[in-house]
Amino acid sequence: MGVQLDGAHQRFAFFQKRRLLAWVLALVIFCLFVLPVIRLFLLSFFQEGQLTLSYYTQIFSEPRTWTIFGNTVVMVAGATTLALALGLVFAWLVAYSDIRLKKLLQLMILVPFIIPSYILTLSWTQLMSSNGWVASLLQLLPFSLEPLQMYSMEGIIFTLALSHFPLVFLFTVGVLRKIPREMEWAARASGASSWHVFKQVTFPLALPGLAGGGLLAFIANLDNFGIPAFLGIPAQITVLSTAIYQEVVGFGPSAFARAATLSVILAAVALLGTFAQWWLVRKAKQTETIQQDHEPRYQLGRLRLPVELSLWAFLLMITVVPIASMLQSSLVKAYGLPFSADHLTLDHYRFILFENDRVQGAIGNSLLLAAGTMAICLFVGTGLAYMRARQPNALNRALEVFVGFPYALPGMVLALAMIFMWLEPIPGWNPGVYGTIGILFIAYITRFMVLQVRGSYTAMVQVDPSMEEAASLFGARPMAKWRRVLVPLLLPGVLSGAFLVFLTALTELTVSSLLWSSGSETIGLMIFNFEQAGYSTHSTAFSMLIVTAILLVMVSMYMLQHVRDRRIKDI
Amino acid sequence: MIEKKRMVPFALLVFSAVSLAGCGAENVQEQVNSAAETSETNETEQAEGTDAIAGTLSFYTSQPDADAEALVAGFREQYPDVDVTIFRSGTEEVVSRLLAEEEAGSVQADVLLLADAVTFENLKEKDLLLPYESPELAHIPADFVDQDYMYIGTKLMATVLAYNTDLVEEAPTSWFELTADNAKGELTMPSPLYSGAAAYNAGVFSRNDDFGWSFYEKLYENETTVVQGNGGVVQAVAGGEASYGMVVDFVVANAKEQGSPIDFVYPEEGVPVITEPIAITKNSKNEGAAKAFVDFVLSEEGQQLGKDVGYTPIREGIDAPAGLKGGDELHVLSADLADLLEGREEDKEQFQSIFGAH
Repeated sequence: MGVQLDGAHQRFAFFQKRRLLAWVLALVIFCLFVLPVIRLFLLSFFQEGQLTLSYYTQIFSEPRTWTIFGNTVVMVAGATTLALALGLVFAWLVAYSDIRLKKLLQLMILVPFIIPSYILTLSWTQLMSSNGWVASLLQLLPFSLEPLQMYSMEGIIFTLALSHFPLVFLFTVGVLRKIPREMEWAARASGASSWHVFKQVTFPLALPGLAGGGLLAFIANLDNFGIPAFLGIPAQITVLSTAIYQEVVGFGPSAFARAATLSVILAAVALLGTFAQWWLVRKAKQTETIQQDHEPRYQLGRLRLPVELSLWAFLLMITVVPIASMLQSSLVKAYGLPFSADHLTLDHYRFILFENDRVQGAIGNSLLLAAGTMAICLFVGTGLAYMRARQPNALNRALEVFVGFPYALPGMVLALAMIFMWLEPIPGWNPGVYGTIGILFIAYITRFMVLQVRGSYTAMVQVDPSMEEAASLFGARPMAKWRRVLVPLLLPGVLSGAFLVFLTALTELTVSSLLWSSGSETIGLMIFNFEQAGYSTHSTAFSMLIVTAILLVMVSMYMLQHVRDRRIKDI
Repeated sequence: MIEKKRMVPFALLVFSAVSLAGCGAENVQEQVNSAAETSETNETEQAEGTDAIAGTLSFYTSQPDADAEALVAGFREQYPDVDVTIFRSGTEEVVSRLLAEEEAGSVQADVLLLADAVTFENLKEKDLLLPYESPELAHIPADFVDQDYMYIGTKLMATVLAYNTDLVEEAPTSWFELTADNAKGELTMPSPLYSGAAAYNAGVFSRNDDFGWSFYEKLYENETTVVQGNGGVVQAVAGGEASYGMVVDFVVANAKEQGSPIDFVYPEEGVPVITEPIAITKNSKNEGAAKAFVDFVLSEEGQQLGKDVGYTPIREGIDAPAGLKGGDELHVLSADLADLLEGREEDKEQFQSIFGAH
């Protein structure tokens, strides 16, 4: 009895403390993630110190705005649908079918996501250009067929979907594996067809993962600047993110106010997406088993080989081919020379690796930034996800939205918000973060935190709280509970989130291009600078090195995981 | 007791929040130190006159990286006590950052070196610049110096007609060859909506009787491709995606020197020229060093340095780099700057309506 009373008392005291902590945390999150955005948004409501909606009325009355909206809707809807479809198909095949080499397949699927979109776009346009491989292949055909015109809405949707479907895949595949196969059996035993099983059982249960990944893909499609800029400008297609950029760089008298107005609209669309995701998931049932089920559920039989072949053909096309075309142009002496023996050189690599010390500085900075961002996001983001998963109250839900804000804005806008916030957080006081690598750190953490939160959250909702309670009941201390029970169960999901954070931070470009200063150049910036100065051979060589390095890291992670899996099986 | 165990994730959170604050704090300290240094040196400089040029100098530029570095290295040979930090990006990004800094309360840049005079006219109008009558002005043609000494041109950069040497047999001589049938679908140029230099060109061409907006209309009818910046143009032409490009001279010269199948001409009707002016910001925290830097860029040595990286010097008495035309040989197409600034938004809109921006 005494023990119980004691416990109740402590429970009360602890509850107080925890509430306090939660509120302090909320405040910190609010200041870091929301205040900068609010400061920027306020610009859209004030004209010469007067509260006004005139920017909104003005923008909505321009016919061009509606064309831009139309383009944005088509682009985002198209790219998100395609990304969802591709992600779901791959996730289903990897989770349920008996295709071989799944681990390797999983690795390959990630490649288009880890190749920075500015590199991916460049290689696709080269590939599809009138003197690229595809064109020369098509010329061999007896009838005339043109390669896909990349500078078009189709090109934009295609490239966006390719770079973002891995997000959908990542979030869905784990969820699929946790759907109890008994449910599918039951449905099939009652006479449902395969399609019915998918529609009535698998799909509703997979919805949380699909919606989570779909949301990130949606937001990523919405705020992406690089792809619609590169492919849309020649085609005269303007979408919200490029329109905001045009406003900002146009430096008209109300440039920032108009850019802020468009950003508010963009953020509203992103918020709508978040609500849609909640609404979908609210209806979803959560009847998952604790353990991932890696055994194939469907035998493809005679179809297996053709399915495998087409999967691999597709993956090779979207990964190896762009990389190869990049490799090719990084090896010729000068951009535009034909790829033949007398034009081959390793000079560009030598220059990047040994002759330009700023490149090394940039690699160092990016690694430092990415590792630091990953570490902080790993702890804070997992903590937030834990709160959100175990106590889905209003406060924690609000925190989730807050954290998503900076990711939903175009990089350029976030960078401006960062300047407004951090140059003089309180008028007259400059903390001196701005102009150092510190501002990039803050910007990256705020921008990419949501990737970790979503990754960890998806992992959390799949671990039944009963596991945790059981551990506690058996007297496991907090550290032990985390170390022995939660960490092993959550690790794969949490790590894939951390991995995303690391990779996106490593090659980030748009935010950095406005916030860096000498001494804090990053990989993306160096590539961008080479490109702008017309040294595209250097930029492709550098991109090649980065992609190779990332692939090496992925392969070693794959090996590590292999070893770890074996050890877990041994236990 | 059980509940206590839930503390751990929160402890982790707090820990990471603290470490987050911690890494910020370090930077703060650094910055405070360097700021303190700057203000100290400023004070001593004011006390001792102009001999003590020291402290930190913040240099915002749109010049390519390596060129900016070379310039700063040359400057620091003469003034080793000045610590120069560089921010390099596209002109548009640099100005955005500058205006955002202004909006946030304090401009951090001391010296600006950006693409064209119109951009500086804009900054001048916003009262962001400090007038400075450099002693080096004696050697700079008055055409390239703002009459209020707010900004001074540092080099001559012509927009030329580049062509792919594999695809084009005979070098073009006129801009109007671009509107002819055999150039159909073969021209690439940067977009005025994104590139300041391209906006300048559009302003100049459209105000010139020989060209006017009808020139752009014909280019549109001839299926001209528009890309984001000058780098993209060179890439398209060198890579053979387009035969012709309207592009800034030194980028082409660079690609040509590396061996890309690209060359360029100065068409006979003349070329728009931008001057990459330099200016000091109004509230520069290190005026002494900023002025020394401007003097250096305009000096014989600074101009020679620019020439070595491939720019046409603006200073009289220094020849243009091999293959480029110098100030005396260039046939410059120009327009009134105030008019260009005033008309820039309209120019962009006009361009959009011609090229059917959606």
